[in-house]
Amino acid sequence: MAPLLEIRDLHASVGDTPILKGINLTINAGEIHAIMGPNGSGKSTMSYVLAGRDGYEVTGGDILMNGVSMLEMESDERALAGMFLAFQYPVELPGVGGMSFLRAAVNARRIEAGEDEIDQLEFVKLVRAKAKHLSINDDMLKRAVNVGFSGGEKKRYEILQMALLKPVFSVLDETDSGLDVDALKIVSDGVNFLRDPARSMLVITHYQRLLNHIVPDYVHILAGGKIRRTGGKELALEVEESGYVGIDDAA
Amino acid sequence: MSASTMQPNLDHLAGLTGVRAGALTRWQETGWPHSRVEQWRFTRLTSVEKMDLRPASAAAAVGTAAISAELPENAVVLSFSNGVLDVAGIAALSDGVTASFLSENDTALAALAASVPASHPISDLSLAVMTSGLHLEIAGKVDMPIILAFTGDDNGVSSHPVVSIKLADGASAVLAEWHQSAVGLSAPLMAIEVGNKARLDYAKVQHDSAQSAHLAATGLTLGEGSVFEGFQISVGGQLARLETHITLLGENADCTLSAIYLGRASQHHDITTNMNHAKGHCLSNQIIRGVLDDSARGVFQGKVHVAPDAQKTDGQQMSRALLLSRKAEADAKPELEIYADDVLCAHGATVGELDETQLFYLTSRGIDRDTARGMLISAFLDDAIDSISHPALADMLRPVTTAWMTASNRSETGDK
Repeated sequence: MAPLLEIRDLHASVGDTPILKGINLTINAGEIHAIMGPNGSGKSTMSYVLAGRDGYEVTGGDILMNGVSMLEMESDERALAGMFLAFQYPVELPGVGGMSFLRAAVNARRIEAGEDEIDQLEFVKLVRAKAKHLSINDDMLKRAVNVGFSGGEKKRYEILQMALLKPVFSVLDETDSGLDVDALKIVSDGVNFLRDPARSMLVITHYQRLLNHIVPDYVHILAGGKIRRTGGKELALEVEESGYVGIDDAA
Repeated sequence: MSASTMQPNLDHLAGLTGVRAGALTRWQETGWPHSRVEQWRFTRLTSVEKMDLRPASAAAAVGTAAISAELPENAVVLSFSNGVLDVAGIAALSDGVTASFLSENDTALAALAASVPASHPISDLSLAVMTSGLHLEIAGKVDMPIILAFTGDDNGVSSHPVVSIKLADGASAVLAEWHQSAVGLSAPLMAIEVGNKARLDYAKVQHDSAQSAHLAATGLTLGEGSVFEGFQISVGGQLARLETHITLLGENADCTLSAIYLGRASQHHDITTNMNHAKGHCLSNQIIRGVLDDSARGVFQGKVHVAPDAQKTDGQQMSRALLLSRKAEADAKPELEIYADDVLCAHGATVGELDETQLFYLTSRGIDRDTARGMLISAFLDDAIDSISHPALADMLRPVTTAWMTASNRSETGDK
């Protein structure tokens, strides 16, 4: 059986600048992998390349989900195939009502699966139930998407979307940035609640702190567009103590 | 250009007298504005000048065509066909509304001539031709929305309906103009007088056929403590200009005039406003939103004039245009002319495209790109539509923008 996600010798550029220079990564179903690395190592580029953002051009290699290449798929098609990106900077959509946004996303997935669109009342109940675990109140749900949300609220709203869309593969891009200790716990609990033998996650972070809460099976160190080291969760602790010094130069 | 070749052909008007004769003389001296005339710099009328037009006559009124508006249940509809009023509709007006014909009401005609834009091509031409002239006087609170429905099927005619509406002091009314005509040129001339402490909720939808030209002129005066809440949508026609001149005549008047223009193919929409604060302590607010696809063009010209003794004026104006195609073009010319020293006035104009980051956020959730675009365009327009406080008018206008976007998605070709 093919791994849930396989990245083969992935090269990617933004404009004329090569950022990813040959990434190899295999993630099996149920696993959580963490990617750590210094600023500018290519962490966020990797998240956008996986999600299929325009302007992030794959110049070599492949990304396979359940054995199927994603490279020719648009971002919406990747999402429907089960990919999810929790944004480092969730985007404000003034004028786009939160509930209609969530419903459009859920219905897109249901239509893809050949199901009927979700009943409105049923949907409201579902959202409220999931929102409660993430300390998201009705007032936040009624607002336009991410508009007027604090940094922590935006991150919780990302996890709410993840809970509603039930992706098979999620990328969490610096989900811990801008979170205080309490918010970090709420977000981590939300993510851990979604751990499942059939689902995998890639947690991108600068700091080890998040990995105390979301405990990974593997930790990879990304620097200069390549994975330099791979280890277990103890590798994160090592990086926390000695920093990224030295890793950068090990080309 | 000699009078005999000017369009439309006005030979039949030789015997006019009074204010209409004066208007005809001015029109024949000036004709269609040249593009060097500053107010018409962005909107050229070459295509109208080339039309072979004759003013509609009473014989052109061949019954009234249906309009596609979602009308309020209790509305009364006054229909104009090819610019000619179907007088039968007048009987349905409620008690507070008195109707008369401008051709038989010299006082009302003189008042109208004084309040529409002066020495203006549309004012002069339509006042002279006046295919029908209706005057409505409104007293007390009239709940029944009055809908003026303009249809027409003869592309060889020009339609010049002239309507004056006078709200007595303390009166209130709900008025909508719905234009869904296929005449060559629609040139409606409106004069609206809102009395002291009166309130008018007003909407206009320009939904003419794709080959038509629509050149409208409206003069509006607001009395002390009055409220005017107006909203215009320009979505039809090949060439359209909705020009509104407002004078705040009394203190504490509150005026909103917002507009949406939606263009595709080679449509040209022009929203021109002239907000004249003659007295102090008045509010004026304008929210303009335009969405342009293909090689459509949009123009917003908005002038706010504050007279020397109009202290404590609050005049706001914001125009935003969204271009969906590289060939679309938007021009904005906001102007503030302030002669008082204690005022709060601001204007702004932006032209932009859909935000790629926002589109990516939506599509990364599995929402297809067309739907995502529609959601962002809706959000852009709702900002303006949500400002309509009269529910029946909002219900009438909202489907117009929704229908436009549905059609937009259907014609989506992707690469532009």
